[in-house]
Amino acid sequence: MIGHARLLDTLAKLVARSPADTTSISAHAKTYRVSRFAYEAIHQDLVQESVTVYVRVTARQRIGVAATDTVERASLQRCLRAALAIAHHAPPTKGLPALPPRYERITTTGHCPETINTPPKQLIDELTRAFRLCSGVGAQLAGSFAVGEDEVSVVNSAGVACYTASTFASTKLVAMYRKLSGFASGVHRRLDALNLDGLLEQALKQCLHRHEPITVPTGTYEVILEPEAVADLVTWLGYIAFGAKSFQERTSCLAGRMGEPLMDRRITILDDGNDPMGLAVPFDFEGIPKQRVLLIDRGKAAGIVYDTTYGHLYGHPSTGHGFPPDEIEGPLPSHLFMEAGAQKRDELIRSCKRGLLIPRFHYVNGLLNPREALMTGLTREGACLIKDGKLSAPISTMRFTQGLLEAFRHVLGISRARRLIADPTQELGCAVMPTLHLAKFRFTGRSED
Amino acid sequence: MAAAKIPRDLLGRLIRDVKRQDVDYADVRFERLLHESLVVEGDHVKSISVFESAGVGIRVLLHGSWGFASSPHLSLAHLKRTASQAISIAKASASINKKSRPLAPIDPVKAVHRSRWQIDPFEVPLAKKLDYLLWAVSGLVGPKSIKRATGHMDFLKRTKCFVSTEGAQIEQHFTESGAGLEVVAQRGNEVQTRSYPNSHHGALAQAGFEYVKHLDLIGGAKQIQTEVLQLLGARLPKTGATTLVLHPTQVVMQLHESCGHPIELDRVLGQELSYAGGSFLTTDRLGRFRYGSDHVNIVADATVVGGVGSFGYDDEGVPGRRVDVVRNGRFVGYLSSRESAAKLGLGASGGAMRAEHWDVPPIVRMTNVNLEPGQACLEDLLRDIKHGYLLSTNKSWSIDDQRLNFQFTTEIGWEIVKGQLGAMVKNPLYTGITPTFWQRCTDVSDRTTWQLWGVSNCAKGEPMQLMHVGHGAPYARFDGVFVAPASSSYEGD
Repeated sequence: MIGHARLLDTLAKLVARSPADTTSISAHAKTYRVSRFAYEAIHQDLVQESVTVYVRVTARQRIGVAATDTVERASLQRCLRAALAIAHHAPPTKGLPALPPRYERITTTGHCPETINTPPKQLIDELTRAFRLCSGVGAQLAGSFAVGEDEVSVVNSAGVACYTASTFASTKLVAMYRKLSGFASGVHRRLDALNLDGLLEQALKQCLHRHEPITVPTGTYEVILEPEAVADLVTWLGYIAFGAKSFQERTSCLAGRMGEPLMDRRITILDDGNDPMGLAVPFDFEGIPKQRVLLIDRGKAAGIVYDTTYGHLYGHPSTGHGFPPDEIEGPLPSHLFMEAGAQKRDELIRSCKRGLLIPRFHYVNGLLNPREALMTGLTREGACLIKDGKLSAPISTMRFTQGLLEAFRHVLGISRARRLIADPTQELGCAVMPTLHLAKFRFTGRSED
Repeated sequence: MAAAKIPRDLLGRLIRDVKRQDVDYADVRFERLLHESLVVEGDHVKSISVFESAGVGIRVLLHGSWGFASSPHLSLAHLKRTASQAISIAKASASINKKSRPLAPIDPVKAVHRSRWQIDPFEVPLAKKLDYLLWAVSGLVGPKSIKRATGHMDFLKRTKCFVSTEGAQIEQHFTESGAGLEVVAQRGNEVQTRSYPNSHHGALAQAGFEYVKHLDLIGGAKQIQTEVLQLLGARLPKTGATTLVLHPTQVVMQLHESCGHPIELDRVLGQELSYAGGSFLTTDRLGRFRYGSDHVNIVADATVVGGVGSFGYDDEGVPGRRVDVVRNGRFVGYLSSRESAAKLGLGASGGAMRAEHWDVPPIVRMTNVNLEPGQACLEDLLRDIKHGYLLSTNKSWSIDDQRLNFQFTTEIGWEIVKGQLGAMVKNPLYTGITPTFWQRCTDVSDRTTWQLWGVSNCAKGEPMQLMHVGHGAPYARFDGVFVAPASSSYEGD
């Protein structure tokens, strides 16, 4: 861990040394311990320790960006010189936005030293126990187990100086029994809250089924999408619809429809980087506090997220959704929440006469026709036919192709319980989603071997 | 930016020190990367950035268990600590791992490899590169329907130095260049995108700035501006099974998803089950399974000049090879590592281990997975088609976790009527099952039509590694493929 004192001091000194008109520096340091396993053996075990520092300068309305992966003084100075050189050679940019104003914050509420300092032996013991539990019932186990620590800091010449540190523990488990697999994943800021036993039980329940997988016809089904499946869809919607860039280019399905009802009025989607139920990160890579942004408000198109650049272009203040300065996708939501309903998951299943239970999707893609939010993807472990309110038999892999707005217009129920979904070794964001009961969801293909 | 020199002596001292610690095997990999990225949007520069990185990754095998750790600090004291960390991780895993982990043998070499280039892209003045990009993008803007016009250039220099306890000492130097354009047009509720010369930053090669000049972005801008405006008013394809001809830009994605990933042997052995999935090309199918028709010949070739999946040696020190994957339709080979090759009794590694960066260990990756050309020209492919479609430039992609059921959409298509290209079609979607699809391949075009592209964002592993891989392909023709418009009314096959 670099620590807030050293990181802020290092970045502040570099800003102070910069001769540019404005200087903004952001850093993301990470230490991840990741073990991957399959069939009772660990095949990859690593510690990834790295930092990326972005330096953005402006000089005479010209922008220069450089990045490096160390906080050593000589490298940072070289990085600053490279950014200045780029700005020197770059053409001027019309109407540059001002730097975000003074904001100072240090937060370590999401940081648990015991989690990142977990002895390797303790992690191995947990895995050994999981392997034993699986082999005890004749199943096999594959997956990954990770603990990690992130530090994010932003300092600029207008007085921004902020730092946050956080930890995580996460796992993905695939339990396999004969022709069936079950999946469970979990993530928490603290290792001791991960509930590995509960997750393992969930994965085993899905695969220790008395039926072989059955093939069901393609067509439109009532579906119960569990939180991970909902997150797969809503995260894609965030990418294609809730950012200022796609909105202004009018590829977003919200463009030109603000205030219009697009979904069932029971659906409210928002982005909140401060909600402790998610993996909170209180500011963005420009050093702007994250705002809670309503994106879909009781079914109506309600808002999109901005960073400084797009906010300046379109006359809207930044909502704190800026990414590092070399990112060209524009601002995007990163902490998506769907508001909870009133029902229990089991009540939703009991209310379904004939339908499909989908724990998660595989390889969702939302680029087919973004204006219609048309998406495709596939079922994976644990998908099950529901008959007369009961889980009937596991189903073999199905492909859906579905306009998401249309699907979210026909809501039959939303669970009270929500779950945190995240892959913290890949990104800082997360989704917090309920189980969703939809009346119509179109399955257009099947997997065959 | 001035970059770190290769610390040869330091690496030598470090590997000798690690060897003394009773490891079964270890390697040390120094990597240095310089990446320049330019993005132009409309009449202004959107982003110019340069990223510099250097560090060392240490991988040890001890009592049948791997441990990996890395550091950007290039001092012996730091790196010794990093090595100790890798060893302690391996020791901890060894308490679970009950079996030994043999590696397929190699002859350790001392070698230097350099990719070929003519014009060093980092020596070309920034102003010249920007002027060219702004000029190209100016050819996209103008009409009111154009909502966004962007152009990009990317240049990379990567240096690797690999040493192992077996005595390998390998230095490699790679230069990559890439460029492309994208335009978005909108009228009412209709939004269309065109890319040139390929989508998803696919115009990427191990080459210098001469590659960018060769792409003719100026001519390409005119072409895609015309096409994107035409697409706003184009018809939709008819729904149903038909004959499909895929442009090389789309064959590339078809190869990537339905052949490249399922032949990764680590995936076949279950090591990607929790993330990317498994593979239908199970080990019992090697040498027996009918993957495609007789026209289908696929190789994984790390020796193709210009391919971004090419190298002299992989990140285990195995020489870059050309491996037969599908020969006359029959599945005959995997992408493999020393460990996975030994596990399958293959005798030698396929030489496919690469890491994205110094801070992650190598995993089995595609090299250049190429569909070999046939004898026909494009006109021959089209000639006997009563009705079908020619589809070009990938838009969306999706395939199941065993790599069987796929669905793709492309940016553009044309109807084929009585052997001739006809009207443009928008939003084409096609879907199928991998072996059924490739078994319906009725011909592929010749070497003059064969194109080599890159995929710059191939995601795999935990933590996720994004790898540059290559694909070469001619046009390919398939019978009985289900095609439909990508719209909310699509009901499937």
